[in-house]
Amino acid sequence: MGRRSALLAAACRDISDILCAVRKSPFLVSLVAAAGILALQPLPTAAQTSPAAPSAPASPQPSASAGPVIVLDPAHGGTDTGAHGETAMEKDVVLQIARSVRAELERQGYRVFMTRNDDSNPSYDDRAAVANAYRDVIFISLHVASTGADGTVRAYYTQFATSNPPAPVAAAAGSPAAITRLSNLPAPALLAWVEAQRPYLNASHHLADLIQAELAQAFSGSPSAAGGVPVRALRSITAPAVAVEISSVSTPTPDLLTASAVPLADAIARAIVASRPAGAGVTR
Amino acid sequence: MPRAMKIVIGLLIVAVLIGLISFRSLHRRVQRLAELQTADEKARHEVLATPISTPTDVTVNAKIFWAAGSDRIAPVQMQLPLSADPVERSRQLLNELTVNPPTPGQRTIPADTALLGFYILPDGTAIADFSDALSSEMPSGILSEEMAVNSIARTLESNVPVLRRLKILIHGQEVDTLAGNVDLTGFFDLNPPAAPPAGKSHH
Repeated sequence: MGRRSALLAAACRDISDILCAVRKSPFLVSLVAAAGILALQPLPTAAQTSPAAPSAPASPQPSASAGPVIVLDPAHGGTDTGAHGETAMEKDVVLQIARSVRAELERQGYRVFMTRNDDSNPSYDDRAAVANAYRDVIFISLHVASTGADGTVRAYYTQFATSNPPAPVAAAAGSPAAITRLSNLPAPALLAWVEAQRPYLNASHHLADLIQAELAQAFSGSPSAAGGVPVRALRSITAPAVAVEISSVSTPTPDLLTASAVPLADAIARAIVASRPAGAGVTR
Repeated sequence: MPRAMKIVIGLLIVAVLIGLISFRSLHRRVQRLAELQTADEKARHEVLATPISTPTDVTVNAKIFWAAGSDRIAPVQMQLPLSADPVERSRQLLNELTVNPPTPGQRTIPADTALLGFYILPDGTAIADFSDALSSEMPSGILSEEMAVNSIARTLESNVPVLRRLKILIHGQEVDTLAGNVDLTGFFDLNPPAAPPAGKSHH
C-alpha cells in the first residue's frame, strides 16, 4: 500500500513537472490555446487565490526575482474599432493609454508586457496565451466605454453563471483515448480553456475591488466597488485578471482619456502592492 | 493631330458619356433602395410596436428595467397586460423593453432590435433569440453591454418567476460577445435561490 502511494505521488510529481514545462513555454501554451481545449495549469497557489491577509504591509517588498509580471491588454484593434465617438476610436485610445501606463509601471520597477503594441487585433486566446505564459502574472485589460460619466473609471472581474452546465472537455491530442487519459488526471490539474479563469475568481475579485477603491479616489464619481461582468477577454486567463474601462469615448475632450494613464498606472500599482500577501514582494 | 490620337480622344469622350449616364441611373437605383429600406424599417417598427395580446392577459404591476442615468439600470413600475403563459409573457415584456422606453435616454437596447424567438426549456432555461440589430447597433463597451444584458435579464427575472437562467442568441446563433466585450457563450442566472440564513453565511 505504501509503495503504491509512493508510486502515485511520483506519478503526480511527473505530471506536475510536465504541466509546468508546458506552461513555461509560450509556444506550447499557444499551441494548447490554438487547440482551444485545455488550459494546462496547476491550481493557483494560496497567494494567488486568497485575498491578502489584513496584516499585509502596504509598502512593497523589494525583490528582483519575485513577480508579478503585469500584462496590459489594450482591447480591440485592427478592424475591431471598439467604441467610437466623433473623433476617437477605442482601439487607438486604449493603445495610447496602455503605452503610457506601461511606461509609468516600468518606471516604478514592474515588468510589463502588452498583448499588442500596434493596430493588430490578436484573438482572445492569443491574448490569454501571453499572460498564461508567466507564473506570477497579473492581467489588466484596458477599455474605453461608450457610456458613463466622463472621467469616471470602472474595474471589472469576470463572472461565470453558477448554473452553467459543465463545459465539454476534449483532448488536446484529439483522440478518445487521450480524452480518457486526461480526464483521469487529478481533476484540479486540468482546466477547460474557456473557463480557465474560474479558480482565480476570488483573487480577481479582490484585486478588482482594490483597484476600484484606488480609482474612486483618483477619478471623482467612479464607483467604490468593482463590478462582476462576464467579460470575454478575462475568461481564459490563468491568473488574477481585471478589466478597467474609462468613460467615455464620446467625451468632447479626448485628452481627458489619455491624461488618465498616469493616475491609472498609480492606482493599479498601489492595488497590486495591497493585494500581495506578506512577503510575496513586488518587482521593484 | 494624328488619326490615332483623334480615335483615342473620341473613345474617351464616349466612355465618359456612358459613365455619366450609368452614374445617374446607378444613383437613382441607390436612392430607390434607400427608400425601400426606410419603408422596410417603418414596417418593422409597426410590427414591433404592435402589442402582443393573448386570451389570458391580465393587467398587472410589472417592473421593466431601463437605464437610470448613464451607468446603471433601475426598475420602472407600470401597469401592463401580461399573459399567464410564461413564453408569451416574456415576449410581451421584452417587446415593452425594446419599444417603449419612457424617454430615449432610458433605452438600453437598440431601437431596431426584434425578438425573433423565445423558448423555455423544462429546466427553466429561457432562450431569447434577437435580431442582428441587438449586436450590430449596440454601442461597444463593457458598461453599455452589461446594462443591455442586465435590463433583459432583470426584467424577465422580476416578472416571470419560473425562469432560472437565460441564454441570448443573435439571429439563431450563439455568438462570442454582444458587441465585443460581454460574453454571450454562457448563461445568465435568473431568480437565484434565496441566500442562506445570515448565521450560516461563509463570508
